[in-house]
Amino acid sequence: MPFLLLACASPEQDPDPVVMEPLFQQPANFPAPAYALASNPVTEEGFELGKALFNDPMLSRDNTISCAECHNQSYAFTHHGHDVSHGVDNRVGTRNAPAVQNMAWQKEFFWDGGVGDLDLFSVAPIENPLEMDENLGNVLTKLRSTQKYPALFHKAYGSTEITSQKFLKALSQFMLSLVSANSRYDKYAREEGGILNSEELAGLSLFQQKCSSCHAGDLFTDQSYRNNGLNIQGSKDEGRFRITERVEDRFKFKVPSLRNVEMTAPYMHDGRFYTLEEVLHHYASGVQQTPNVDASLKNGIPLTAEEQAKIVAFLKTLTDREFLTNPKFAGN
Amino acid sequence: MKQLFIGLLLFTAACSSENLEPINPNDKNNVTLEFENRVAAQTLVLNDTKYTNSSGEDFTITTLNYFISNVTLKKTDGTVVKMPDHYFLVRQADKNTLMPVLKDVPAADYTEMTFTIGVDSVKSISAVDQRIGVLDVASYGSDNMYWSWNSGYIFFKMEGISTAAPTNAGGLQKYQYHVGGFGGRTAATANNLRTVTLSLPSVASVRKSKSPTIHLIADISKVFSGVSPVKIASAAVVMSPAAAGPIANNYAKVFSVDHIH
Repeated sequence: MPFLLLACASPEQDPDPVVMEPLFQQPANFPAPAYALASNPVTEEGFELGKALFNDPMLSRDNTISCAECHNQSYAFTHHGHDVSHGVDNRVGTRNAPAVQNMAWQKEFFWDGGVGDLDLFSVAPIENPLEMDENLGNVLTKLRSTQKYPALFHKAYGSTEITSQKFLKALSQFMLSLVSANSRYDKYAREEGGILNSEELAGLSLFQQKCSSCHAGDLFTDQSYRNNGLNIQGSKDEGRFRITERVEDRFKFKVPSLRNVEMTAPYMHDGRFYTLEEVLHHYASGVQQTPNVDASLKNGIPLTAEEQAKIVAFLKTLTDREFLTNPKFAGN
Repeated sequence: MKQLFIGLLLFTAACSSENLEPINPNDKNNVTLEFENRVAAQTLVLNDTKYTNSSGEDFTITTLNYFISNVTLKKTDGTVVKMPDHYFLVRQADKNTLMPVLKDVPAADYTEMTFTIGVDSVKSISAVDQRIGVLDVASYGSDNMYWSWNSGYIFFKMEGISTAAPTNAGGLQKYQYHVGGFGGRTAATANNLRTVTLSLPSVASVRKSKSPTIHLIADISKVFSGVSPVKIASAAVVMSPAAAGPIANNYAKVFSVDHIH
């Protein structure tokens, strides 16, 4: 019977077939995805197309900046060392580039939740004048004129036609595959042999008492918008208010996931804090009573220096080396 | 000669409503909507012409675009036909957009129409696969009708030059009205969708052999005055949905049906 199967295989088939890991996997400790995966199943060819697009500076007006420029795998797809990112012509943005990871579970995107569908997410950085400053129609025109992309679209979709729907959904496929769920913490939580030392365990316990009402569950965010009492400075960004224009949303920003947080410095919507220690210090003693400050932070979060250090130790167990170094995700 | 005259007479009679074929409920045909944009009693000419609004401010129009959707037509018996899958983007700069067509309208006599200015909330949050034609977010070129950062369509866009506007960074005295806001996806936000109801001055008859045109006039001067005065001097750039309500209230009053042909 196996011989029969082999005999039927086409000559181009991999002579040494390995069992491919599915490109999207549901971690046992995660909730159900928010993204309707059935409407855009992640295929090898769609993923490869999405990855090529993610790494292609052609998406920007002057062909200088790719998505990967500000979303670097080694730093959980953030812009290491940049409080806010640079766009074309060295234009400077106003917000810190968020991590691109576990996108399938995100209900809304950006610090202010201005977009509610991963398939529409990519339009924003492409068209933002401070980022790629291009228009989507023009990106498609440029892609159509290449040798490379009609072939890649054909592989992914069976036709060389390049449409906004196919373009956006291929980028989604790549981003959907960026699942980070294999940190030491995960292996501890799933009882897969991950071990936390006593300091980390103490940090986990403190985290659960003091932080998890917002950084909830194994996504480490409740995906709500909150004012965490940052001093209003710089661009005086009003966050969620920019989208809803409701006064009760002024200065609120989306609670970010803390996965790979060790690697995603600097922190906060404007990248004002360079270290995790500074973040903890803010919650312990730096919270400002600005308009709409979160009720849970009226008195900050009482934490001794020792407790802060333990929480930082725990947060570092959320670093997922497999994700950060997976060659599958690396640009060509 | 006499025969030709009778022939002409018969031909003319066949085209008048008195002698229309009876309504066959299975028949369908097109209804064309002709949008003629004017400024009060003048034709609307982009760029070149200076007009005056009700507050005495001069203005030109360099861009005028608006979405029309969810057209309904009311029959003489009061029943309403909905045309849900027609989304039109009227762009003054593109003549091909000024006469959109409703396809497969059931044969009937119609006396009233309604439509939405903008893109309804359901379509505003629809999956990318449903965003085709004028709803394709890649279709606008440099004249964008989609806010990528606060996902939603710009329902109505009007721009021009006015001495009442402050000089902008580009050295132009520009006014810009970009009105959107479908009410919000997860949080209730400003809703600038407006529905217009217009009675038809004569019956619009759709038959197998007859596809009428509803000729609408949009008096764009009413964007400044339809319900309450909107002054360029007060806010030359309006892009916030929360601030755009008075403009939306006004533009809901610009349309009338001039005639059916």
